[in-house]
Amino acid sequence: MTPMNGPATSLTGQTGTAPRRTLLTLLATQIELRMSLVVVAVMAVLSLISPYFLTLNNMLNLLSQSVVVGLLALGQTLVILIGGIDLSVGSLVGVTGIVLGLSLHHVPMPVAFLFCLAAGAAAGLVNGLIITYGRVAAFVVTLGMMSIGRSLAYVLSGANSISGLPAGLGALSADSLFDIPVDFLVLIACYALCWWFLNHTKGGRTLYALGSNAEAARVAGLRIGTWSVLAYVISGLMSGVAAIFMASRILSIDPIGGQGLELDAIAAVVIGGASLFGGRGSIIGTLFGVFVMLFIRNGLNLLNVSPYWQGTAIGSVIIVAVLAERLLSGARRRG
Amino acid sequence: MALLELRDIWKRFGVTQALSGAAFDLRAGEIHALVGANGAGKSTLSRIISGHIRPDSGDILLNGARLRHAGARDAIRAGITMVTQETSLAPDLSVLENIMLPRIAMPGRLDWRALRRQAQALIGEIGQSEVLRPDMKVSELSIGQRQLVEILKALALDSRIIIFDEPTAALSPHEAEQLFGLMRSLATRGHGLIFVSHRLEEIFAVTDRVTVLREGRIVASGLATETLQQGELVRLMVGRELQDIYNRGGRSRRRTDGAVVLRVNHLSCPPMVRDVSFEVRAGEVLGLAGLVGAGRSETIETIFGLRQPVSGTIELDGKPFRARSPRDAIRAGIGLIPEDRRGQAIVPDFSVRENLLLAHLGARSAVTLGYGTRGAAVRALLERLELPERRLLDANMLNFSGGMQQKVILARGLVLAPRLLLLDEPTRGVDIGTRSSIYAMLRRIADEGVACVVVSSDFEEVIGVSDRIAVLSDGASVAELPAELIDIEKLGMFAAPRSSAEKTHTVLAELVARYGGTAYWMAAEGGRLFCFDRVGDDPSADPGFVTGGFPEIAATAIAHAVGAPAGALHRAADGARPTLLVPISGKRGHSLGIVGLTFGRAPADFDAAAVTQYILAALGERRDAPNETRIEA
Repeated sequence: MTPMNGPATSLTGQTGTAPRRTLLTLLATQIELRMSLVVVAVMAVLSLISPYFLTLNNMLNLLSQSVVVGLLALGQTLVILIGGIDLSVGSLVGVTGIVLGLSLHHVPMPVAFLFCLAAGAAAGLVNGLIITYGRVAAFVVTLGMMSIGRSLAYVLSGANSISGLPAGLGALSADSLFDIPVDFLVLIACYALCWWFLNHTKGGRTLYALGSNAEAARVAGLRIGTWSVLAYVISGLMSGVAAIFMASRILSIDPIGGQGLELDAIAAVVIGGASLFGGRGSIIGTLFGVFVMLFIRNGLNLLNVSPYWQGTAIGSVIIVAVLAERLLSGARRRG
Repeated sequence: MALLELRDIWKRFGVTQALSGAAFDLRAGEIHALVGANGAGKSTLSRIISGHIRPDSGDILLNGARLRHAGARDAIRAGITMVTQETSLAPDLSVLENIMLPRIAMPGRLDWRALRRQAQALIGEIGQSEVLRPDMKVSELSIGQRQLVEILKALALDSRIIIFDEPTAALSPHEAEQLFGLMRSLATRGHGLIFVSHRLEEIFAVTDRVTVLREGRIVASGLATETLQQGELVRLMVGRELQDIYNRGGRSRRRTDGAVVLRVNHLSCPPMVRDVSFEVRAGEVLGLAGLVGAGRSETIETIFGLRQPVSGTIELDGKPFRARSPRDAIRAGIGLIPEDRRGQAIVPDFSVRENLLLAHLGARSAVTLGYGTRGAAVRALLERLELPERRLLDANMLNFSGGMQQKVILARGLVLAPRLLLLDEPTRGVDIGTRSSIYAMLRRIADEGVACVVVSSDFEEVIGVSDRIAVLSDGASVAELPAELIDIEKLGMFAAPRSSAEKTHTVLAELVARYGGTAYWMAAEGGRLFCFDRVGDDPSADPGFVTGGFPEIAATAIAHAVGAPAGALHRAADGARPTLLVPISGKRGHSLGIVGLTFGRAPADFDAAAVTQYILAALGERRDAPNETRIEA
């Protein structure tokens, strides 16, 4: 209810002709800008507190750590954009990992990868179909799938971890290109592809429209059913990809692998500015969210803070991030 | 002293200034009309009075004392209740429970026996003991009866002030008459009634004074209704002559001989659409008229692929067509401007540009967006709709007024250059200025050869904007006729829901059962006859028209009876088709149509005077001596 002569914020176009483009309005409209500021601030604080933080070694270590949760957060972003949620990704990392490990003992590595990815995509397809066409809440379906996935991981593996994996698998995370770990490059490539998909393809815009107002998207002729299912398929597929990189890093596959990662993925998306109601969020924001979480965890480790306290820290960050998002988007709307 | 007084009320929603210094006063014992075009602020003002929303500034005085209600509940406690068109009843509870619902919400034990007695007494007071029982479930009641329950609810709270917000939108003329009678008697008993409506004939029928709002300002305050002329009131509401809004500029309605673009045959999609047929030609605007709940929106949603028909056919350009999804419809060249802008049209997180191109996205088969390919079309459209491109394209839709939003949604439908455009309530919640430019746009689209179907609950609008009108009632087509032949009253009779027309139908059926021949309900005006209902198919007694027909009187078989004194049998020159016509009047003496009876050969025992009395007793509300009136054509 601001008076007429208030700042003419989002009514104005993107060109430089816009009058009175204050920092606040820029911040309020650009999620990516906001997140990059947060990341820089966190890095600055941590490097002041710990001299080790900004060392090359620590940074490379952090890049590698970001891969698995980053891949899951990518899939989770698509699902959260349409107003859904996928609680099953952690368990799916477990079960697709087991599929990978069992396959590796029988078939060549690329075929084993294919089996692993297919298993993840298939689980995502089941999630998507039931949620979209069975009209069951995403929370319930993926909660069920979470339980099923973990259980199958134990059943298939006989509750034993799988070792003796081919040496070639380890190359995926050991190699580096221009001193950057290959697995991190894969992650960045996935995010770049996802950014293009979300912003420059019909499917990507359909996901946003679907989360923002599904009925309007339907009336406009968008294929909302198909894309709703595909979001879950991609999320399941990313679990498979994450399982491959996880296995390559530790060269051993445990049926308990990936446990709790669904919450890290959701947290990264939420810290990255996405709305759990759907329609709002960005893939770049999610990537920043992944790093904010890693940085804080890493910083607390460097400071020798008890790991028991880390949950409190991360939890507070999530809540503060969402609260700040609310206040800022409120400012935007009032603009 | 005024019962209620409002002083200098201001209210703003986002960028829209809904009320600017509005003032209003209500006396005990009067019915005070609050009128204005769509978006004038009348609903905002009444919702402020009822406590649903709070003004930004201004005073509300009840019996001279300053009233500060914090919400609807406080207003109810102060004796102010609103009866809305979208009823706030709990459908699974009984009439009794609904009437006493506010009481149930209060602390303390309930004495159901006393409550029942009280409810019974209230129902008696409004003269409904025969039809409304406390134990009936609200979901089983008609819309008219539900409104009565709402009124009873207000009375149970002992409300001195009752606001009626567009109460007749879903009522048949007969039910509306009943409601007006009830309103009169409430006023006589000292209640102050506020009547919000944009239907002029109702305002003249029932109110004592009129306050007119235009674009949030009071343009006339408390004028005595008797002293007003209809044209004057329209000028006050609209700020100019009415014809101007529809942009006819003296042009007559065209009867195009363009090709039939859409033909709908016996379309059925239960429960709302039962049997709908009509056709639209290129270059024509067809109005789809009817009351709320007649199945108009559902019909066009079925054409557009949002619902799947159960039976019947749709032809597009002469070929059978069936849209399995909106995508099919859009690709076949159909555009839809949906009824619920916020719910079915706007994507709030998208910029105006992306909102505008949403249907383009839906129709596109490539992977990429291809927004650039529509650049020229978008610019041209924005210019035509008088939307400033620079201010608009990257902005958030929700920051704009309803009118501006509607223009963008209209542009979304037009950017694909459709051959058939379906518009569902295109001016709902839109200010008068934008309304006029939407009508102008509609005309231009039609002139370019697009077939347009407009759904509207506003009879005046539907008559003003259409070339032809198809009337729906309870999910079935009842008539299809040129717009210049019809007026609001006759449209109301065609559109009357089956449930209320049933009474007339029963009387017609009884007459035919008793005397044979054919019986019909019709109106005659301007040399034409409009048949709303007909019973009996004896070819020797054929009056020369069927239900939904509108022949010239001279071309019917009963021309001899029209213009002759009512209440007696008249035979044609050759002695054929003996016919009795009985005009039916409402309480105010206005016409509710004519009931007629035509025979091949009249039965020997036929007593015209007695039958006339019977018809008047069954259907009339004012019993004039029939032979004093003549049926004029």
